[in-house]
Amino acid sequence: MHLFLLGLSHHTAPVELRERVDFGTTGAERALDALMGRAVCAEAVVLSTCNRSELYVACDDSDRARHELSAFLAEFHGVPADVLEPYLYALADADAARHLFRVAAGLDSLVVGEPQILGQVKDAYAVAADRHVTGTLLNKLFHAAFAAGKRVRSQTGVAEGAVSVSYAAVSLARKIFGDLSRVNALLVGAGEMAKLAARHLKTQQVRHLTFASRRPEQAQALAHLLGGVPIPWAELEAALATSDIVISATGATAPILTRARVAAAMLGRRNRPLFLIDIAVPRDVEDTAGDLEQVFLYNIDDLHAIVSENLAKRSAEIERAEALVAEEVARFLAWMRSRDAIPTVVALRQRFEAVRVSELKRLEPKLASLPPDVRARVDEVTHLIVEKLLLTPTEQLKALTDRQMVVAYADVLSHLFSLSEEDEEGSDLEFRPDDGPAGRNSRSDPKRVS
Amino acid sequence: MGVIPLLLYAAAAAAYTVHFVRRDERIGRLATAALAGAALAHTFLIGMQTVRVGHAPFGGTTGAISAFVWVLALAYLYLEMSTNERAMGVFILPLLVALEAIVASSPGATTLPEALQSAWFALHVTTLLFAYASFALAAVVGITYVLLFREIKARHPGFFTARLPSLQVLDVMNGRAVAIGWTFLTIGVVVGGLWVLKMQPQGASDPRVRAMSLLDPKIFVALICWAVYSFALYARRIVGWSGRRAAWLSALGFVIVLLNLVPVGYFLTKSHNF
Repeated sequence: MHLFLLGLSHHTAPVELRERVDFGTTGAERALDALMGRAVCAEAVVLSTCNRSELYVACDDSDRARHELSAFLAEFHGVPADVLEPYLYALADADAARHLFRVAAGLDSLVVGEPQILGQVKDAYAVAADRHVTGTLLNKLFHAAFAAGKRVRSQTGVAEGAVSVSYAAVSLARKIFGDLSRVNALLVGAGEMAKLAARHLKTQQVRHLTFASRRPEQAQALAHLLGGVPIPWAELEAALATSDIVISATGATAPILTRARVAAAMLGRRNRPLFLIDIAVPRDVEDTAGDLEQVFLYNIDDLHAIVSENLAKRSAEIERAEALVAEEVARFLAWMRSRDAIPTVVALRQRFEAVRVSELKRLEPKLASLPPDVRARVDEVTHLIVEKLLLTPTEQLKALTDRQMVVAYADVLSHLFSLSEEDEEGSDLEFRPDDGPAGRNSRSDPKRVS
Repeated sequence: MGVIPLLLYAAAAAAYTVHFVRRDERIGRLATAALAGAALAHTFLIGMQTVRVGHAPFGGTTGAISAFVWVLALAYLYLEMSTNERAMGVFILPLLVALEAIVASSPGATTLPEALQSAWFALHVTTLLFAYASFALAAVVGITYVLLFREIKARHPGFFTARLPSLQVLDVMNGRAVAIGWTFLTIGVVVGGLWVLKMQPQGASDPRVRAMSLLDPKIFVALICWAVYSFALYARRIVGWSGRRAAWLSALGFVIVLLNLVPVGYFLTKSHNF
């Protein structure tokens, strides 16, 4: 069984094309049904985010899968195959696993370490698992990918620090106030910047959102749009005293929040911190206001500096993250290779069991005179001997990590024990592995060894 | 005495430091395990001493410091598990190691003078140990508050911002630890005072009991401590001194506690030298 991946992403395809092959939320389910109906693969997962559309499958024939999957992708989305083809990437086995692990870790994202992708990978897997179109290989692959993603996030800094100005401001607010649901926010100004900032605060579920603008109708409109209370410009000072976070983004040419004004607001606050975020250019808050006790003042340049520092830190961590991913990939591949030996192990066990059963059958007339409990003992002892004989070879086979070695061992074993020529040479045997796992002794069920 | 706990505390200190810098979850768990191991070994040691001298070995200055280390380690472990916050460890552990080093280099527990073997005395010592452990936590939380405050205030969030909980959480923790410590301190001091009032009229033969007065260094410094923490509580509740001022006050208070516990305990006091 091979692992195969076909897809396109922001690295290979322009947004116009990505939009056309986006599966969306319900598309993935339909796509899985359609895909499984084609009998190309035994297992499948569809991963679709705004930056990528990828099909992960377990199949017997990678070349055929390559061909069938690109035809499927073109057909499903109604995009001509020759238009799609140049943007597709196809990866098999180790490369496919590495790709998924890097995706889950956020290393393949547009902004390295972005937080959503791991959740999206989990959702994509859940959709496929719910429809029972995943099996041993993809189950293991995706769980290993989740582990890799989690490990990279917790053990490296690739996902650390805010990488947008608004998120930097929000995470600073969290560092000052902890839970933001008990925090009052005041917005001064009504421009586009103020609107954007208010949206962000709204999603953080601050307790109260107050809007102040020199033009009352604008404050009113914003309050109506985003949910909050507009106040007249004259009440700005009173609002300052009761707010914890103040975002200022007016078009004023001289500072609105002077040091004296802020100092006056601090008087009645009993030492409660005040977080002033000045995103206006030219600045709205007098710089020396930041020197006041319990006042934290950040202007747009400070926030930009944080963002660029965080971006630099993230990229410095990429190397460590890649090393972790490589470790996880190696672990997964070792597991996958150990699976290569399984058919040989199963065949070997079936062969031994067949010999045991046929010998017992041959001795049946002699054993018939024995009491039932002794006969049961004979059955048990012969079974144990077979198990013991096979224990070490089984372990050794499963421990092989090099694919060529596995093939070589399988060749030798099937030659030595005539594993593949059962029908010709094993004609004297009563029991045949081809009869399926329903051997007489339930303990010979090949499923047990996998 | 106590070399094994000392080594384990030192190992935990190293692990907490590495965890703080590198933020590796596995090393963090290792640090907690080492500290739990140290506390366990310490418990065992205290148990052995109890069996040997026939009572809890908290009497002498060395015994008191050892017990303080033990209670502080347990209190910190409790704090860590209940808040799931490991960042304080790197600040607590050096204190534990330093104090346990004093214990390990001093002679072992001695039998308590007969005059002191009473329930009053046990209550006095226990409550004060809890008080001091709370104050130690308050001071450490206060120090981390100041470090984080400075970083955010300077508009250059980085090292501590990435590692410490929010200012608000630290402030609340500091306030609670001071309040709990103050309650225990008050009980401990009152119990001690009542005990002296009970013992002195009986004309106790022990010179230490006779030396117990407000002017004895150990008792005097303890009262200063009480005054500092009372002020800290008052300032927080009534004046609204939270945040940085409260943090500095709790650090100052704990410096006085440490002075009282180590140099005053070993060299100056005439009433508490066992």
